[in-house]
Amino acid sequence: MKQWFCSVPVLALLLWAGPGYGQQANDVYQVLRDGDGAAQFAPVVPGYTLDFPQDHGPHPDFRIEWWYLTANLEGANGQHYGVHFTLFRQALFAQQQGLEHASPWASGQSWMAHAAISQGDKHLYEERFARGGIGQAGVQSQPVFDAWLDDWQWLGDGPSPLPGQLTLSIQGQPLTLQLSSNKPWVLHGEQGFSQKSEQGQASYYYSQPSINIVGQWQPRTGDSVALTGQGWLDREWSSQPLAENQSGWDWFSLQLADGHKLMAFRLRHSDTEQHYYSGSWITPEHKVTPLNSDDIQLTPTGFDVIDTAQGEKRIPTGWQLSLPTLKRQWQIKARSANAWLDTLFPYWEGPVQVFDNKQAVGVGYLEMTGY
Amino acid sequence: MLHINQLNKSFDQPDGKVSVLQQASLQLEAGQSAALLGESGSGKSTLLHLIAGLDRADGGEIWLQQQPLHQFSDEQFNQLRRTQLSLIFQQYHLVPTLSVFDNLSLQARLTGNLDDDFRQHLIATLGLGPLLKRLPQQLSGGQQQRVAIARSLLHRPALVLADEPTGNLDENTSQQVMQLLSQLVRDNGSSLLMVTHSPAMAAYCDHSWRLQHGRLEAELSA
Amino acid sequence: MRSLLWSWLTLLSHYRRHPSQTLFLLLGLITGVALWSAVHIINAHARASYAEADQLLDAQASHWIQAPNGRVALSDYVALRRAGFRQVYPVLELRLSTLDNQPLTLIATDLMAMSASRTSPTQEQSNSRVDMRAWSQLSQPPYAVWVPASLANSLPLQAGQRLTLRDGRQLPPAVTDSQPRQGQRLFMDIGAAAITLGETHLSYLAVGAIDPAELKRLDQWLNQYAPQLKRRSNQQPLDLTELTASLHIHLNAMSLLAFAVGLFIVFNAVRFALHSRASTLTTLRELGVSARTLTSAIVLEGFTLSLIGTALGLAAGFGLSQLLLPAVAATLQHLYGAVLDQRLLLQPQVLLQAWLLTSVGLLMALVWPLWQRSRQGVLAQRQGVDVLQQEQRSQRRLAISAAVLLAIALLSYPWLNSLAHGFALLAALLFAGAWLLPWLASQCLHWLSQNAKPGLAQWCWAEGQVQLGPLRPALMAMLLALTANFGVDNLVGSFRQALDNWLQQRIAADVYVQSEQLDAHQLSQYAWLLDSHERNGLRLRWQGRPTLIRGLDPSAPDVQQLPMASQSYPQGGAAWPDDGILANEQVQHLAGKQLGDVIYLPLGNGEQQRFTLAGFYYDYGNPYFQFYLPYQRVAQLWPNAQPQGLALWLDEDANMTEVEQALVEAGAQPGDWIDRRAILQLSLRIFDRTFAMTAAINTLTFAVAGIALLAALLAIHQQRLPHYAHWRAMGVSWREWLQLTAVPLALCLMLTWVLSIPLGSALAWLLIHDINVLSFGWTMPLQWQGRPALLLALLCLGVTAIAFAIAALQVRQRLPYALKQLGADE
Ligand SMILES: Nc1ncnc2c1ncn2[C@@H]1O[C@H](COP(=O)(O)OP(=O)(O)OP(=O)(O)O)[C@@H](O)[C@H]1O
Ligand SMILES: [Mg+2]
Repeated sequence: MKQWFCSVPVLALLLWAGPGYGQQANDVYQVLRDGDGAAQFAPVVPGYTLDFPQDHGPHPDFRIEWWYLTANLEGANGQHYGVHFTLFRQALFAQQQGLEHASPWASGQSWMAHAAISQGDKHLYEERFARGGIGQAGVQSQPVFDAWLDDWQWLGDGPSPLPGQLTLSIQGQPLTLQLSSNKPWVLHGEQGFSQKSEQGQASYYYSQPSINIVGQWQPRTGDSVALTGQGWLDREWSSQPLAENQSGWDWFSLQLADGHKLMAFRLRHSDTEQHYYSGSWITPEHKVTPLNSDDIQLTPTGFDVIDTAQGEKRIPTGWQLSLPTLKRQWQIKARSANAWLDTLFPYWEGPVQVFDNKQAVGVGYLEMTGY
Repeated sequence: MLHINQLNKSFDQPDGKVSVLQQASLQLEAGQSAALLGESGSGKSTLLHLIAGLDRADGGEIWLQQQPLHQFSDEQFNQLRRTQLSLIFQQYHLVPTLSVFDNLSLQARLTGNLDDDFRQHLIATLGLGPLLKRLPQQLSGGQQQRVAIARSLLHRPALVLADEPTGNLDENTSQQVMQLLSQLVRDNGSSLLMVTHSPAMAAYCDHSWRLQHGRLEAELSA
Repeated sequence: MRSLLWSWLTLLSHYRRHPSQTLFLLLGLITGVALWSAVHIINAHARASYAEADQLLDAQASHWIQAPNGRVALSDYVALRRAGFRQVYPVLELRLSTLDNQPLTLIATDLMAMSASRTSPTQEQSNSRVDMRAWSQLSQPPYAVWVPASLANSLPLQAGQRLTLRDGRQLPPAVTDSQPRQGQRLFMDIGAAAITLGETHLSYLAVGAIDPAELKRLDQWLNQYAPQLKRRSNQQPLDLTELTASLHIHLNAMSLLAFAVGLFIVFNAVRFALHSRASTLTTLRELGVSARTLTSAIVLEGFTLSLIGTALGLAAGFGLSQLLLPAVAATLQHLYGAVLDQRLLLQPQVLLQAWLLTSVGLLMALVWPLWQRSRQGVLAQRQGVDVLQQEQRSQRRLAISAAVLLAIALLSYPWLNSLAHGFALLAALLFAGAWLLPWLASQCLHWLSQNAKPGLAQWCWAEGQVQLGPLRPALMAMLLALTANFGVDNLVGSFRQALDNWLQQRIAADVYVQSEQLDAHQLSQYAWLLDSHERNGLRLRWQGRPTLIRGLDPSAPDVQQLPMASQSYPQGGAAWPDDGILANEQVQHLAGKQLGDVIYLPLGNGEQQRFTLAGFYYDYGNPYFQFYLPYQRVAQLWPNAQPQGLALWLDEDANMTEVEQALVEAGAQPGDWIDRRAILQLSLRIFDRTFAMTAAINTLTFAVAGIALLAALLAIHQQRLPHYAHWRAMGVSWREWLQLTAVPLALCLMLTWVLSIPLGSALAWLLIHDINVLSFGWTMPLQWQGRPALLLALLCLGVTAIAFAIAALQVRQRLPYALKQLGADE
């Protein structure tokens, strides 16, 4: 489960207008834990068989959903670039049957998107909101895959997002990426049913961890930069993804030089040191071994103090990740501590390097919330 | 200390010019008191007003402690009234909206010459202790005049001018007030010039002067 | 310094001992300052709001994107957003009316889209009234409509209640809350509004802060993909400031009048306080305080009082402005579309101005008596002056000043061409009247006492002369209040009458339809349709002002009977003159154009078209310039002109439900039409709201005059109490006392009232014939009404009776004490 849930964007506006930003931000998370509210939406149950390309499109009966791309790219200038783009969907209220056709305004869907690029210690990002129904934002898988909000757009060549093209502008600076993959989709957990707590909170979760990317970045000053590299797309939807005592998470997506991929996360519990761990070990052929709390060990090894809109925060930017059952162990280091997004829901998201005994053995992305 | 030489004063009246003072002269030494007697309309009040600078003489000289009052400006007279002189009137002229205490302190406050012990002494001597919080309209005539006396002495003037201070009071009260006034003036070392119609009151003074046909004549003490 | 301090304290002791005098003095100051500052605060607030008119709700709106027909397609908006114009956000602005024809404006936008244009994302609005529930209420069924508290009160509408509109539709449940800069408008989420009111289009798009390069790209995009959409820069801040200037001058003038009335109380109180302290002042002189120190002490006292009065007055004024704001806000919104915020700010310069104003007023009251005193010797001060003689002298002086003032006013009248001059004339008229009054009253009393039988009657008129002095300022205040009330009543009455007549002629058709989808030809099949009139038009700028062009059918019944102020062609079916154009009166009076003048109007292609002014028609309440041309000509000259509605004349026994059904069949939607009765009612409603503030200030002015009278009476009686005691001692009975004091008072007030009628009429005449034309640009006949005069007489009588009763009661209470003092006093 990565991410970072979109919460009620309307609430976002409320927060902008209101005092005690930080305090209420906690309430925002409550939406993700709100079991009563979830009742009017479709539940996430095991045994569902994912159906492509259908499932690339939105699932409006579920409360929240996202399309989430991260990428480690190399510029023609030799510099490393990290890119991430997310489109969040949230249903504000369960759609009454038939009403969605009465008026485009009757939709209960709302959209939020983030785009960010980082290079060295530089970090640029932008956040957008839109209401659903009127066409300002949305996702469709037919006739071709299309996900957009205002002029940000991911357009597939066919009903699948891959191959496809992502067109963004971050703070007015255009970024385009051509995305393709020749590997099968990876289903996490039990055939895409990904559990989030012992109490049964769960989501549907699949990924494409092997995306080939070529692109172009046009910074405000200077020449445009050609980019190439590897990307990772996450798709997830749910109606109640968090348990009552889960305060935040640390999520890793790693692409190792030997062709293996690893997804691992822990959901931190506010009342105990026994956190909830989950992940997938993925072979170069995309064979998946699900990992659980016995298989994953995560230890912060280095911290940075970061200035945020809510004051200074101490963020773990160095980690030790062990898979004892697989007898593997890596050191993970953020390329730069400067990857904090002071968006409506502030979080840290940035590119990392993977080391095995001081030797660089891979790249990846790290996301941390709730700090 | 007070020397009046050949003072002239006349008024314009509908029936012609009336000469009130004609070559009037008078002497009063420091620490002495004098009564000023005369018929009604003879010019007694006028004389006091001229000394206090409330009105101006047509001619003649007034010397007070070697100062030529007849050459004084309005501003000098203000200063004089505030510090060296004080006036006591038949109608008391208290400030109706100030308490007895504030009334009797008023002139000393204006002068900046307020001696708290002396104030206590005056209050005690004049028997004003129980009345301090009252307003003038809540006092009898004798009480009001006692407040006026206290006010006129508190800043220790060299000369006290009193215009029929007991004119509104009955025989007994008059005696009382007169006794207090003459005694306090004497204790204080001030001089007193007092207008009165009553020989009994005049008897409290060291000297008596009579104003007649515009002239002043010393009378032999009774 | 010391003597100044103690003199000042000694003088101030008066106010401690006479609390009622203190009270009235402060009351006068406070009410005067309060009324003045209330209006001032509102005016300043309004002007500040215009400066913020480049915003919509709390977001920047530097430009508008509009469709000529006032309907922007949702798809065009989404296309703009998807083309990357994230500064653009959608607005739905609707004029609604309630079941009882109260006009309302609804504004709706998409707060999510608007977020990028918000001026203040985090700061401001620190005490956010927004709670989460309210928010989700706005955007989720059954939705919610935010109603500003004052509007909710006036409707009245309770939280949770649904407002029913004239056409039977219902708004979502009301929430008493508002957005920044919502003004007196209803606010809804745009989706909720579109759904509940069945709107398929947007009213317009707003453009937030945008850089020049993007603006150019926007224009190119519009040109290429949506040529029907036009961008124009938001000139509201400028336009509003200009359009509303006259209204604010009006308000200011009225507040100054209220202040002047308040000053009369102060004048009275200050003079009286000085008078009652005459002996104290002399005593202080005898004690050696110089005249200069004493004057300084009194001036210091004046400043002290003005400081206290200003502070309390401003506090009261601030409260009052909160009460008056909704009325003014409603006026501004309905007449000019100006949005006023709900929160008021007190600016430091208002504070300073108020203090200066009161200080000057107090000094004015003090200067004369102080100067008089300073000329007297100390001895003379003790000897009572002949008050009566002095009073008569000042009455004469005032009367002469009044005559001079009137003469100046009359002589300058032919050169009247500015508002400031107009109001100066008004002030001259008012004050001349006020200054003449005491002399007139005195002459009257004199004549009466000459012709009265010796005895009580004669005594009575003589007593009147004595009382006239202290009563003078109160009488003048009363005259001002009566005159202002009568004058403004007449103005408003005339205006209402003129508007009513005009509306009857102008709104001649039975039903008015405003619908894009309506197929007008389809209606011609019905027998009940007697006649119809379709109009087109557009909005442009001419002479720097928003200007409306309307195309109409010269043969339509309502055009045939168009109420004309002047014209150069024969009305009634005659051919429209070749290059002729009709303009509203505003063009004549505000732009200074005359019949036969040539004017040029800008065409869409940037060229200018020449017209000759062929007539001016009455157009009450329109703040814009407006021109009439034949329908075809407008369509030909301005291809972007849009339908401006259809007027239908119905057969007398047409069935309204049948008509409505036919309209729906022809493509209109419920709510697209309004019948004659409703539109008339709506217009008069707006009118009445506009003058609500005027009425409020007038009533308050009257209250202030009443207080002045009471203060004067109390002062007189206190001063005269020893005399009354004498009378009592002489055997004058209570009834005789009443007669002696009440009859002359009644006479004086009657005289005041009588004088207020010609003065008020003159005032109304000046307002209607000159000031109104100068400020709003329309003329109307003066409808002299007697009823307000009678009402005012009753009111005046009531106020006087109450004041007199209170004062008489006080005399009754104090008389026994005064009798006891009789022997003791000098
Ligand atoms: N301001 C004035 N103008 C004109 N005449 C005056 C004025 N003051 C006093 N007089 C006249 O001067 C004369 C003296 O008056 P004054 O008051 O000095 O008399 P008095 O001796 O004090 O009398 P009484 O014993 O009655 O007080 C009187 O005839 C009086 O009329
Ligand atoms: Mg005398």
